[in-house]
Amino acid sequence: MTATAAKPNKLFRAVDVLLLVLAVLPLLAGIVIRILFYPATEGIDISGALIYFTLDTPIGPFPISESQVNSWLVMLTLFWLCLYLTHGITPEGGSRRQHLVEWAVEQVDRLVCENMGEYFAGFAPFIIAMMALSAFSSLLSLLGLHAPTSDINVVGGWALLVFFLITYFKMKCGPLQYLRSFTEPVPLLLPLNLISEVATPVSMAFRHYGNILSGAVISALLGAALTGLSKAILGGLPGILGDIPLLRVGVPAVLSIYFDVFSGLLQAFIFATLTMLYVAGGFPAELYARKKAAKSKKRR
Amino acid sequence: MQVLMQNAEVISVNIWQIVASLCNLVILFLILKRFLYKPVKKVLAQRQAALDEKYSAAAAARSDAEADRAAWAEKMQTADAEAAQVIKTATEQANRRSDQIVGQAKEKAAVIVREAQTAAEQERVRAEAQIKREIADVSVALTEKFLARKVSPDDHRTMIDEAIAEMGENDD
Repeated sequence: MTATAAKPNKLFRAVDVLLLVLAVLPLLAGIVIRILFYPATEGIDISGALIYFTLDTPIGPFPISESQVNSWLVMLTLFWLCLYLTHGITPEGGSRRQHLVEWAVEQVDRLVCENMGEYFAGFAPFIIAMMALSAFSSLLSLLGLHAPTSDINVVGGWALLVFFLITYFKMKCGPLQYLRSFTEPVPLLLPLNLISEVATPVSMAFRHYGNILSGAVISALLGAALTGLSKAILGGLPGILGDIPLLRVGVPAVLSIYFDVFSGLLQAFIFATLTMLYVAGGFPAELYARKKAAKSKKRR
Repeated sequence: MQVLMQNAEVISVNIWQIVASLCNLVILFLILKRFLYKPVKKVLAQRQAALDEKYSAAAAARSDAEADRAAWAEKMQTADAEAAQVIKTATEQANRRSDQIVGQAKEKAAVIVREAQTAAEQERVRAEAQIKREIADVSVALTEKFLARKVSPDDHRTMIDEAIAEMGENDD
């Protein structure tokens, strides 16, 4: 390779490495913050997110908790990861990372088109964002960090946004049509329809948050149990060896594969799928198409 | 702002945190749309455009070739007709030419025959004139002989024989 060709290549590699480091940095920062601020606890500790400090606002206190900070760290990581993945992609293609990122984008595109139809094709980036944020937030627990998705407030915020989206697309045919949709198929079902309307975001939030939190709780319980078991069985070992909970090595990892990796990815997928189904399902597509056709006819 | 390290309750709903999380998702959506989705889509569209261009170029080349082939087939068909035409005209020309040549030859032959006839006529006339002259010569010679001496019947006979022989010699 000639010197002129090697120079931009070197620069390219340097930028690559820089982006990767920047992507990993927030995660390392999260671990450092955790180690610095987390109070040492004894025994079984099942509690919510650690609150670093609380902002007092006119409406109420805004606790800056671990969930919030970790969410932002995940977002930063995803931002740098995006730049890394799209760095140096060309129409000719070729690099492995380009294959990966193209595959991912096309998969989500396909998923959105299959579940929601062509009209909602613009939803693809939103679905990617939702899946990525949910999955990476849940996977934070692999690093020993507090998973933001085990906080009802975080998942609740997403569910609220989904609720807004559902309502927005339901109102596409006018507020009157929106109100009328609650009395269908028979007016008697009005209370049930209202309940199910509210239940949609609540159930979505509770499902996601509950799954991740239960995983964390079981992990904590198992950890404590294994520590106790280790003390009871291996406590007699001489010196420092007796103090190390040896049984905690390895065993929790097996459960972690289910509770942290599988459950986390599955919940991200379920949350995104439900979002697609609810938004597309609430949208009165036929009525909207008819109205649009009538409108364009009138204009002529 | 209070700096107080403590854990939140396991279930503690806080409207600010909910709003912050909602905003986080929106912000991440914008980030991913701007920095992941759009570039990838752009690249895919560019690739598709390049492919379409290549395909359309290939289709154009193909249609060109088909048109060429059709034109050639047509040309080949007309070429057969043309060849037939050429042969026909050539035959006609040749026929005409041969007729011409034959006519010319006939004319020439006629001329030659006429010339020969005239030559023969002239020869005959000349021969006649010669014969006449010779006959005259013979008569003169005979007369001279008669006048020169008495001639016996035998002499007469021999003289006539001589004269005839002389005529024969002169005739050559």
